[in-house]
Amino acid sequence: MKGETLKSYQTFDRVKLLTRHLQNHNATPCVYDFDTKSLRKLLDGASVDDIDYIFNLMIQSNLFCPRERDGKVFIAPDFNQSMEQQREMTMRRIDYLREQGVFDELFSKGHLWGFVLSEALGVYDHSLSIKVSVHFFLWGGAIRFMGTKRHHDKWFKPTETYQVKGCFAMTELGHGSNVRGIETMTRYDASTGEFIINTPCESAQKYWIGGAANDATHTVVFSQLEINGVNQGVHAFIAQIRDENGNKHPNIRIADCGHKIGLNGVDNGRIWFDNLRIPRENLLNSVADVSPDGQYQSAIKDPDQRFAAFLAPLTSGRVMIAGSSMYSTKIGLAIAIRYSLSRHAFSIRPNEPEVLLLDYPTHQRRLLPLLAKTYALSFASNYLKMIYIKRTPESMKSVHLASSALKAVLTWHCMRTLQECREACGVQGLQTENHVGHLKKEYDVQLTFEGDNNVLMQQVSKVLLAEFLAAKKRNKPIKGLGLEHLNKPVPIIPSHLTTSILRTTQFQTDIFCLRERDLLHRFATEVSQHLAQGESKEHIFTVTYQIAEDLGRAFSDRLILQTYLDVEATIPEGPLKGILGLMRSMYTTIVLEEDASFLRYSYLSTDNAAVVRKEVLKLCSELRPHALSLVSSFGIPDAFLAPIAFNWVDANAWSSV
Amino acid sequence: MAPTSQVLVKQTSNVRTIILNNPQQLNALTPEMASQILELLNTYEEDPSVKLVIVKGEGKAFCAGGAVSVFLNVSWKEAATVFYTAYTLDYLIATYAKTQVSLIRGIVMGGGAAFAVHGRFRVVTDDTVFAMPETALGLFPDVGASYYLSRLPGFFGEYVGLTGARLDGAEMLACGLATHFVPLEKFSALEDALCKANTGDPKIINNIIHDFSNKNPKLKEKSQFFRLKTINSCFSRRTVEDIISALEEEAYKNKDDWISWTIKTLKKASPTSLKISLRSIRTGRLQGVGQCLIREYRMSCTVIQGKVCRDFFEGCRALLVDKDKNPKWEPSKLELVSKQMVDSYFAPLDDEDWEDLKLPVRPNLTSYAISKL
Repeated sequence: MKGETLKSYQTFDRVKLLTRHLQNHNATPCVYDFDTKSLRKLLDGASVDDIDYIFNLMIQSNLFCPRERDGKVFIAPDFNQSMEQQREMTMRRIDYLREQGVFDELFSKGHLWGFVLSEALGVYDHSLSIKVSVHFFLWGGAIRFMGTKRHHDKWFKPTETYQVKGCFAMTELGHGSNVRGIETMTRYDASTGEFIINTPCESAQKYWIGGAANDATHTVVFSQLEINGVNQGVHAFIAQIRDENGNKHPNIRIADCGHKIGLNGVDNGRIWFDNLRIPRENLLNSVADVSPDGQYQSAIKDPDQRFAAFLAPLTSGRVMIAGSSMYSTKIGLAIAIRYSLSRHAFSIRPNEPEVLLLDYPTHQRRLLPLLAKTYALSFASNYLKMIYIKRTPESMKSVHLASSALKAVLTWHCMRTLQECREACGVQGLQTENHVGHLKKEYDVQLTFEGDNNVLMQQVSKVLLAEFLAAKKRNKPIKGLGLEHLNKPVPIIPSHLTTSILRTTQFQTDIFCLRERDLLHRFATEVSQHLAQGESKEHIFTVTYQIAEDLGRAFSDRLILQTYLDVEATIPEGPLKGILGLMRSMYTTIVLEEDASFLRYSYLSTDNAAVVRKEVLKLCSELRPHALSLVSSFGIPDAFLAPIAFNWVDANAWSSV
Repeated sequence: MAPTSQVLVKQTSNVRTIILNNPQQLNALTPEMASQILELLNTYEEDPSVKLVIVKGEGKAFCAGGAVSVFLNVSWKEAATVFYTAYTLDYLIATYAKTQVSLIRGIVMGGGAAFAVHGRFRVVTDDTVFAMPETALGLFPDVGASYYLSRLPGFFGEYVGLTGARLDGAEMLACGLATHFVPLEKFSALEDALCKANTGDPKIINNIIHDFSNKNPKLKEKSQFFRLKTINSCFSRRTVEDIISALEEEAYKNKDDWISWTIKTLKKASPTSLKISLRSIRTGRLQGVGQCLIREYRMSCTVIQGKVCRDFFEGCRALLVDKDKNPKWEPSKLELVSKQMVDSYFAPLDDEDWEDLKLPVRPNLTSYAISKL
């Protein structure tokens, strides 16, 4: 009896502690008393209202599976449903959003709305976001950018109303990132004015085509185009694959990709084309066309350039993935950090209360650098969206470069953060309803779709090298891609670093620039040495990957720091600027600590590396009091978080079973 | 306890019953009453001998809302202090540590609704009438309405908040504004039973009320709650303009009294009020009750400051003073209310000694106290 009283007292005490930490922001002294709304405004920018509108729509519909836990309502898909049920629910949710007018006039609205949709829907469920994105931004995007007016007039409206359900058949069993290597073959029949699409071998079957297994009625097909015996390279065509009743076209075979480790709400399928005939007008002809009598016409003669121009608009996919990945990262962090502010473990001295997880320096070290990094990377993602929206033919190269680099860096960060969050929540992280563990499966795909991250990073280095060599050849200062710092004298790094130096923007910029510049020179030297030995360029790039990888990282980190500084510059002096400065120092210091290249190439002496390591510890304890406000500023509504982010004791009480 | 007092207290061992006592004006809440109740509730929360707090109205109404007329003859800063107290009181009720029961007879509107709806147990009956009629008056549903309306099923909250639609007891139970429905003839017996039980154990209280209640009061045949599907598809729209055109489209397909009334009511309400109310409810959906009240305080102060729009004074003139029921709203049309105007209601006021609402720290907040709906 006595034991029970004590226990209930402890529980009560625990609840008190828990609520104090979660509700009273002033429980620990905060140096920067900033407004969480203003910080969120920096993260979500002009889209705050749009994002909240989509959140509102999802929270209020029973289709989104609201469940009550301890008086709070949480919404999340029922992942215990079978794959087929999950797919059906995804479609029903889309129907609901369509009925609310979410997709009305989508193609006339700005690109920002597209980013809002993919990001806000992804906060609920990655499958929902992907299913919508495939339809509007891959199928719709291909028509928008690769097609011309005749395609827009014909397909936009039925796409907005879902009369036509589109998919995007690019990847094949044998070819993914290497789009130019696909084997699907299309020829032209001048006698009927039709193209004939064919899958010549098993490795040419279209694979992982989202929407193809069940729902899609139409697809954009990527295929080699052979005209009069000459292969003109990869082109895109519109093909109907099912009728309005869902019956497959007789010249098409479709199979299901089956159950996946995540994203089971999307019906990925495989398609074989058996000499499918489509009208000549279905060629998406923005860069090249075929006349009725079968003559190939293109304004761009060089096939390399033509291919680049052709695929360039699809950069939007990477921009979108980078953006989405930041939202899932935020969910993971918000949950893990809130949990670490209410969960205690072990007493330091006998008979003393147990210590709050986030008061352990180790726990701070695990989560807080990731938190600061997430802010830095989110600003970079916003920058990427903006340069994408404002792109011009001249800026396309830097958009492409930034999107490749940031897609890789941001999605890697997302997966790493989710893994850390899942571990930081202990076994609670395994429970599907607590999201953090489950999100890993749902978002893993980001690392390889729309370009394998490793391939993307190598491309970044290749582009940088080409730009560097071109400037050298012209004997002119280098311009663009943020490389202008190479024209300046080599930055000097102080031989004895201190806390105050580490926190200056001057030092932070200098050391990031130094790394990029030196690695670029090293990469150029290494490549030229190989060239001197008569090796082919292709071969050289396969063997110099180590430096290329380091350079890709260096470019990304410098770009991210630059966008961060640009954001900071817009903020007047005050607590908000203060916290942003602190997080920037955390971001740069953790990069210095974690990336081996600083020591490997001696940008940091071992003594200085030790100072950096100590600084991380200090920064963690300074960020600690702000942890809750910083995750609140993400603006993810409680309903999209998890029971462990709140009163998990009551949520798990017997009475709530 | 003077018999003329506007707040009466009945004391039976461990139970305190707070009675709103201004029956001539349907117990409309005056600033004095609000401060008095605030004080009482604070005392009871501290006092270990108090276990259960009951709130009810004297006579046939619970509370007809805040006595808005008091605002007409005072400076906006004085009026702001009235809101300050009222919202602090709402917060206290919403997060009250002790068990509290609201016995809701008759009219419960506007400011009065806060008492009723923020409480732990909300018992309604046959003659209960609930409404948040602020938009007709140039105001917006405040007192934490952006919290509780936004948590109603689907987009019913937007409907109730924008149109000021009246709900009866059965509808309140159906949508979750009430927790129990007890037939009128058993109402006083319930009160006696609660007093007699002399406990604060929420489970026991729940069982007692449950025993008296009608578990499944019939919704009237033409209840608006049956229109939830239409309400969801129209009131989920992005803007007030979109909501009205969705309703008109619906009316075109399927015209009836309810939909005509809904459209007519929206067109009669202050355009500015409609826009800020919609934004307030939508924002409230993603916030806690405290954040909702802080935001609503900004909005209320902007309303009574009268710099952005003077619809509140016009509404009071037309409905309470001249009673010509013909307010001349300015701006007169929805499309004339700019986003900038709406934004200004949600920003801190540009005034030297104005400050955001600072709610008391509530260390004992249990989660059921945070969210009861």
